[in-house]
Order: sequence, then structure tokens, then C-alpha cells
Amino acid sequence: MSDTTYTQLLDLACGGLLLTAVLVLWRRELAVIIRVFALQGVALAALVGVLAARESSVELGAVAVGLLVLRAGVLPWLLYRALVGAGPALRETRPLVNVAASLLAAAVLALLAYAVAQPLVALAPAPATHAVPVGLTVVLIGFFVLVTRRRALSQLVGFLLLDNGITAIGFLTTSGIGLLVELGVSLDVLLAVLVLQILTTRMRETFGEADLDELRELHD
Amino acid sequence: MTTLFLLVPVALPVLGALVYLVFGWRPATAWVSAASAAGVLAAAILIAVEVAAGPRTAIAGLLRVDALSAFMLIVIGAVALLATAATPAHLRAEIDAGRATARTAARHSVLVQLFLAAMALAVSAADLGVLWIAVEATTIVTAFLVGQRRTRSAVEAAWKYVVICSTGIALALLGTILLNYAAQHTPATAGLDWAGLVASAHTLDPGVTRIAVALLVIGFGTKAGLAPLHAWLPDAHSQAPAPVSALMSGVLLSVAFYAVLRVKVIADAALGTGFTRILLVIMALASLLLAASLLLAQRDYKRMLAYSSIEHMGLLALAAAVGGPLAMAAALLHVLGHGLAKGVLFLSAGRILQTTGTSRIERVRGLAARQPLLAGCVGFGVLALIGLPPFSVFASELGIARAGFASGLGPVTAAALLVVLVIAAALIAHTSRMLLGSPPEGPGAATAVPRLPVTAGTALVAGLVVCAAIGVSAGPLSALLHLAAEILTGTR
Amino acid sequence: MSALGVVGGVLQPLLVAAGAPLLVGVTRQVRARLEGRAGPGVGQPWRDLRKLLRKEAITPRGTSEVFRLAPLVLVATTLVVAVVVPFVTTDSALDPVADLFAVVALLALGTVAVALAGLDTGTAFGGMGASREMTIIALVEPTLLVAIFALSVRVGSTNLASIVASTLHDPARVISPVSLLAAVALIVVIVAETGRLPVDNPATHLELTMVHEAMVLEYAGPDLALVELASAMRLTVFLGLLANLFLPWGIATTATALAVLGGVLAFALKVTLLGAVLAVGEVFLAKLRLFRVPELLAGSFLLALLAVAASFFLA
Repeated sequence: MSDTTYTQLLDLACGGLLLTAVLVLWRRELAVIIRVFALQGVALAALVGVLAARESSVELGAVAVGLLVLRAGVLPWLLYRALVGAGPALRETRPLVNVAASLLAAAVLALLAYAVAQPLVALAPAPATHAVPVGLTVVLIGFFVLVTRRRALSQLVGFLLLDNGITAIGFLTTSGIGLLVELGVSLDVLLAVLVLQILTTRMRETFGEADLDELRELHD
Repeated sequence: MTTLFLLVPVALPVLGALVYLVFGWRPATAWVSAASAAGVLAAAILIAVEVAAGPRTAIAGLLRVDALSAFMLIVIGAVALLATAATPAHLRAEIDAGRATARTAARHSVLVQLFLAAMALAVSAADLGVLWIAVEATTIVTAFLVGQRRTRSAVEAAWKYVVICSTGIALALLGTILLNYAAQHTPATAGLDWAGLVASAHTLDPGVTRIAVALLVIGFGTKAGLAPLHAWLPDAHSQAPAPVSALMSGVLLSVAFYAVLRVKVIADAALGTGFTRILLVIMALASLLLAASLLLAQRDYKRMLAYSSIEHMGLLALAAAVGGPLAMAAALLHVLGHGLAKGVLFLSAGRILQTTGTSRIERVRGLAARQPLLAGCVGFGVLALIGLPPFSVFASELGIARAGFASGLGPVTAAALLVVLVIAAALIAHTSRMLLGSPPEGPGAATAVPRLPVTAGTALVAGLVVCAAIGVSAGPLSALLHLAAEILTGTR
Repeated sequence: MSALGVVGGVLQPLLVAAGAPLLVGVTRQVRARLEGRAGPGVGQPWRDLRKLLRKEAITPRGTSEVFRLAPLVLVATTLVVAVVVPFVTTDSALDPVADLFAVVALLALGTVAVALAGLDTGTAFGGMGASREMTIIALVEPTLLVAIFALSVRVGSTNLASIVASTLHDPARVISPVSLLAAVALIVVIVAETGRLPVDNPATHLELTMVHEAMVLEYAGPDLALVELASAMRLTVFLGLLANLFLPWGIATTATALAVLGGVLAFALKVTLLGAVLAVGEVFLAKLRLFRVPELLAGSFLLALLAVAASFFLA
């Protein structure tokens, strides 16, 4: 693969990551958000796939396939199952901050990510590390979604967005942190999502709906 | 001794979990839990003797145990033994009261054993990645333990616990990745293993390392219950079943703090002591102030104990900020003393909840007259917690304060001690209201209170006695503490 | 001024003025067919215009010169843009005017003129339409500027002709994240600016929902014909801009007859295709509630900003 095509494809995958992160912030319907999240999984897998092709690494290619199955298949499916279980009243997110303001906040977060990521880019300038600010932006947007959304399912999406961003940074900086650790991390994330999904169901059973405004039992 | 022996603290609880998975919870298996904890403690002591000569590694360098890990294994074993010894009595009372079934008890036991295995793996991991996986695994395993009662508040606590801790720990993962990135660009291309990182720490890129360390300290600090991401702790610790609260408060927090300490060694070598010191001082003072402000008007005794855990984590953070051999040794001693005292207190609190049916402080009256043994354990436990001699918390707090004044953090240490004093006053006031006074009168108050089971009583008293004994003389532990402190100050 | 520029400067306004009503006809026909109607045919907008032009010119009582001049300003600004923007040829007749900022300012001038005319009538609908249009344009114009600016960063010039030429020179640029983000942002603002669904419904005169139609409600006869022609031309100009910024292939780079003919055909084909896609999209979209429109536009602004950021970061 030539240098320019590599850079183009890498940047394109990063653009996909960024675009899907913004769309999650933008749209209100949870069904659409879950689909967008699946698309982000595809973009992430594509990113790793490009890196694998660049380094002609079979191992990295296998990781890309694994990521595709997990992030674009299993996790969205789990989210979708939780959504189907919810009533029709819960199909939309109810953000604490209105959408226009949160989009502007995302713009600020993007600039912040760029400023913070300067030392990371400076350590080893390369097309891949130049894209690190994009991963950091996705992390920050995920954090923002997690903090400002009231529905349990939207918080879950925020958490996963955060995780996608971290994974992207991991591959952009060092092509992963060893297969064993990678597997362990993926397993942990999968289990965490499973636990959260079960808790969402339990919350619906005990609270009637999984709206986190109802979480008022415990306070000081 | 073969290197495989290092696996025992991880493998034994896994075996215990398998036993419960296959045979369920029945009179014959009730004590398997305690036996496995005792095995972990015994193995930890043997390992501690072994690693005095130097660190040992096992399974292709995946596990690496040095004096610090051995000490943490001892803490895990000791508090686990305390908690699991009181567990059969707790579960039997829950089943008798109809709040649990044998199935719940079996699941409880499986998860607690896996929880122990995850913590043992965390402290004996040779590299930061495996440590991260193990710490995140503790969150997943304990999530269902926190929400075990399935009430509104229990489910709420479990949700907050998983969301906040997983997010915090995700920040730590980002930090891990960035540290790995920095390590790949050193002359030695060190990986994530502790030995390699410490050896090549001075060649790490400072810009990247600074971001990585900040993320790691905040991330693992979340799991350790340090402000600003502490919100899960009072909810989770007050809703979890008593033995689980004892384990979470007594050891899990310290295991997460162990990660912070390990990171600090690398950060100090790469960036100088100033960076982590500022970070930790801010987190320590914030945690202490927060704990004090919420303890003053606290009305729930389990939450009171939870906020006291935040206070003690704040003290540990202060000790870490101070640095130096004395502060480090004191911090480690504090981990053990706090673990034992808090374990005893949470187990006693669980017993009070079972016999009175309320967790409100003002509804518990005259405990000393009705249940003298339990009241004695609570009373001495609180005295141990606030650092009265002869308990070991006194010795460790004294050590932290002395090191703090000697290291130029005098004003901060003085402020922290003032806050600790306020907290001590609040704890004594709340506890004395529970223990003293005449028993409440009215319908149902005259019924006989079930006696504290002998096994649980023995465990509680033994925990306090050990806590006091270490306070009088650390004995053979002092050599281990000395070695661990040397590792933490980077001199070994 | 090159020969190619002169050819473009003459051909482009003629093509846009003649083709714009046909483009509107195509979108209406596509919509009609998808909705299961026979449709009036592609030539219907031209027939409407002819009918309107034959009518007597009438202006409402109490309106001022602003009302009478607005259609002329609208048509004139759109024509100037049609002359200078590289649609058929890469060279521009008035090269200094073919600048990003000048073009956006010209287009905004036309919008403002119509909004002022809407206010000038003094009717409730005119004022309402004008205020809504101003809300939308306040968000649209910055996005438009930022999005095209993102594309101009790597060229190092805000001249539209050089942006198009450089994309022709280096086709790989089209699949960069900068282009991706800027394209999505531009599509959203173009839909808003030309008053299409889901921001505004060009086919409605329902008082609660209309924006553009409310402002021009008082026009009749030849004035209305001018306004209608101008809105059709603006649609063409925007779609052409979108097409040539991201897919400039086929544009004439030399002044030979064949190249110019190819340029004309390519332009007509691209714009017709985009118009058809727009119509298909409109069939499946419902109009957004007015207070959700700022959300949509803030999103596109963010994308445009990210496009600029990406053009610096990923360089």
C-alpha cells in the first residue's frame, strides 16, 4: 500500500469515527443512535484493518475482525435487545443539555482534545499518531454523553463511545498492547455491558422505567 | 518452593468458586469460603518469606510478586478470612429471615471467591495491563453482589457503582495505553511490566507520561474512592451485604490504591516527585473535606462507615503525596489496620441491621445493654478506626503525620489532621448515640435478641485483637514493610 | 481574463437561468412519481413563469421601493454568482470575485433583500417569514463559510476556481475526512438555505410551517415570476457548487468546443442527479419542528468546524 493511500484510508476511518460520534450527540431516537454506534464499530474495525494491511500483520487483521464482530455486531445487538424491552415512551433520549448546546460543547471538546494531544503527536510524528486527537475527541464526546444523558441506555452508549475512542487511541499509538491484554480488555468491556444491560432490566422492573431521574433513593 | 506456588492465592479462590458452583450452598460447603481465605493468607505469608530475598516471577512472566505484592496478599488474606469467617452466620440469618435462598447464598459465595481471585491477581500481576483487567474484573464480579437484595436502592447503587467505576477505570485504561506508547519509544522499548517500566522510567517522554499518569491516578483513584469520582462508594458500600462491604471497604479500595502507588513509582522516576504530589494532595484534601462534611450530619450508620473509608483513602493519598520510606511504610501499615478495623465494623453493622431491621442511627438505641458483645466490637472498632492506641491505625497515622511535617508538606498535613479530628468527633458522637442510652420501648422491643453466633463473634474479636497486636509491635511484618517501602520509594 | 473564462462567464449564467426551472420541474416530477401521481411534467415551472410574466404588475398598497427592488436584487446576485463560480469551466470571468467570501456574501445579500421585502409588506405572514428566515440564515452562513474554508485550507487559497482545480489535480483528496465532514455539513446547510425539507416545505402555504413562501406571499405577476426564477437559480447554484467542490470531473479545463460541451453536459447531469436525489430524500422526510431546526444547523456547524480542525490536525 502506498503512503498516500494509507494516509487517506486511515484518515477516512478516523473521519468516520468522528462523524458517528457527532451523530450520536445529534440524534434523539435511540434506535438511530444504536445504528450509528454500530457504524462506528465498523469504522473502528476499518481503522485497525488499514493498520493491519499496512504492517501486513495477520494477527492485527484477526483483531480487526474480532473488533468488527464485537463492536458492530454483539454490542449493538445487546443494546437493541435492551431497547426492544423498553416501552415506546423510552425510545428517545432526554438530554440534560439541549442538543444545540451539546453540539457546541462538542466543538469545544474537539479543540481541547487537540490541545491536550499535542505531546502525544510530538513524540512520534506519523500519519497514525496525527489522528490521535480524533480518538481523544471521541473519548471526550463519550464522556459528555455519559454525563448529560438521563436514559440508562443512552448512558450505556456514552460509555461504549468512550471505549471506542480509547481503543482507537490504543491502535493509533502502538498497534495494540499485546494480544493477551487486548483480549482481557475486550472481555471486560463485554462483561461490563452485559452487567449494565441486566441492571437496566432490573431497574425497569423495580422503577417502572429506566429513567435515571428516578434514582433518588440514595443521597445525603 | 516452585514458582507455581505464586499461583496459589489466585487459584485457591477459583477452586472455591468451582466448589460452590457444583455443590451449591449447604452446611457442608459453608466453610469452604473461609478455608480458601485461610489458604490465601497462609500462602501469602509463605510467599512473603520467600520474596524477602528478591521478587519472583511465574507463568512466563505474567505474575511477579515482590515484597509489596506479598504484603498486599497478606492484607487480602487477613481481611478475607475475617469476612468469610463471619459469612456463614450472616447468610444463615438472611435465609432465616426470608431475604435470601440457598441459591442466592451459593451465588454470593461464588462471586465472593471470584472477587478474591481477581484481587489476588491484581496485586500479583507483573504488568499494568493485567492489573487493569483484574481491577475491572472486580467491578464486574461485585456488581451483582451490591445489587443482591434487588430492592430499589440496591439496584440503584449497583448501577451507579458499575457506571462510575467502569468509566473511571476506562480513564485508567487510556492512561495505560499512553504509558505503553511512551514506553515503546524508549531506548529499551520497555513493555508494560513493572520492572521494565521502572528501569527505563527516566527515559520516558515527559509530556506523554504526564498525561498518562494523570489519567492513571484519577482512574484508579476512582476505584479507590478518592474524590472527585467517589459518588459510587457510599451507595455501594451501604447497599452491599455486610461481608461484601467489609471486603470492598477493607481491601478492594486498597488494591486500587496499590495501583496508584505502583504508578507513582514510575511517575516519580520519570517526572520528579512534584507532579504526582500535587495531584495526590488535591485528591487527598478533597476526599478528607468531603468525608468530614458528610459525616457530621450522617444519619445512616453504614453510610457513615463508607464515608470513613473515603477519609482513610484520603489519608493514604496524603501519605503517598508525602513519599519517603517512613510515609510509605506507614501507609502500608495503615492499609492493614484500616482493613481489619473496617472489616470488623462493617460485619458488626450488618449484624445490627439484621437484628434491628434499620440502618438509621437514631433508631438504634441502647445496643450496649441489649447486645453487649456486638456493642463492644462496634465501640472498639470505632476507637481503632479513629486512631486510638494501641490499635495499629494510631501508629500509622502518627507515622504519616511525622513524615508529612518532615517533608515540607506541613500546612497540608496540619489541615488534614484537623479534618481527621473533626471526623473522629463525629464518629464518636454517632456511635455513642447507638451504643448508649436505654433500649427503645414499645411493641416488639421486649422480644429476645438472637445471640451473636460464636463463629462470627470470634472473628470480630480476633480482628480487633490482631489490629491491636500489630499496633503494639509489627513484629516480623516490619521487615516486610521496610522492603515494600523501599520498592515504593524506588530505592530497591 | 482567459478565453476559457469568457466562455464560462457567458455560458454559465445562460445555462443556470434556462436550466433552473427545468431542475425544479425534475424534482417535482420525481416526487410526483414516487408519490404515485402522474405529475405535471418537467416543463411546468417554465409554463408557470410564462403565465406569470404575461400578467399585470401589481404591488400591495403601502409598500416601498424595497419591495419592488428585492426580486431584481435576488436575481442579479444569483446571476453574478452563476457567472463567477466554476461550474462549466475552471477559469472564471471575474477571477477576484470567484472568492469564497464574496460568493457567500452575494448569496446572503439576496436572502436579506427578500427578507426585507417580506418585512416591508407589513403583513403578519411577511414578518413571520422574515424572522424565521433570519434565524435560519444566522446559522447557515457561518456553516457555509466554515465548510468551504475547510476545503480551502489545504489549497491555501479561498478562490473557488483554485479549490476545484486542485481537487481535479489530486482526486484522492475527495475521500479524506475533511471532505467527508465538510460534505455532510454543506448538504445540510444547502437544504436549509434553499428552503427544502426537512427545514422548509416549498410546496406548502400552511401558515404555521412556511418560511420562504411566507416572505414572498404578497408578490404577484412578473415580480413573482422573478422571485420564483431566482429561487430555482439559487437551488441550481448551490447544487452545482456542491457537485463541483466534491466531484469536479467533467469540468472544462481548455477552451475547445468539445471540452466546453462536455463541461455543460457534465454540469447538467450532476445537478439533475443531485436534484433527483434531493427529491427522493424529501419523499421520505417529514418537516422538522421549527425549534428543532437550530439543532440540525448547529450539528452541521459542528461538522464544518471539525472539518476545519481535521484539515489542520491530519495534515
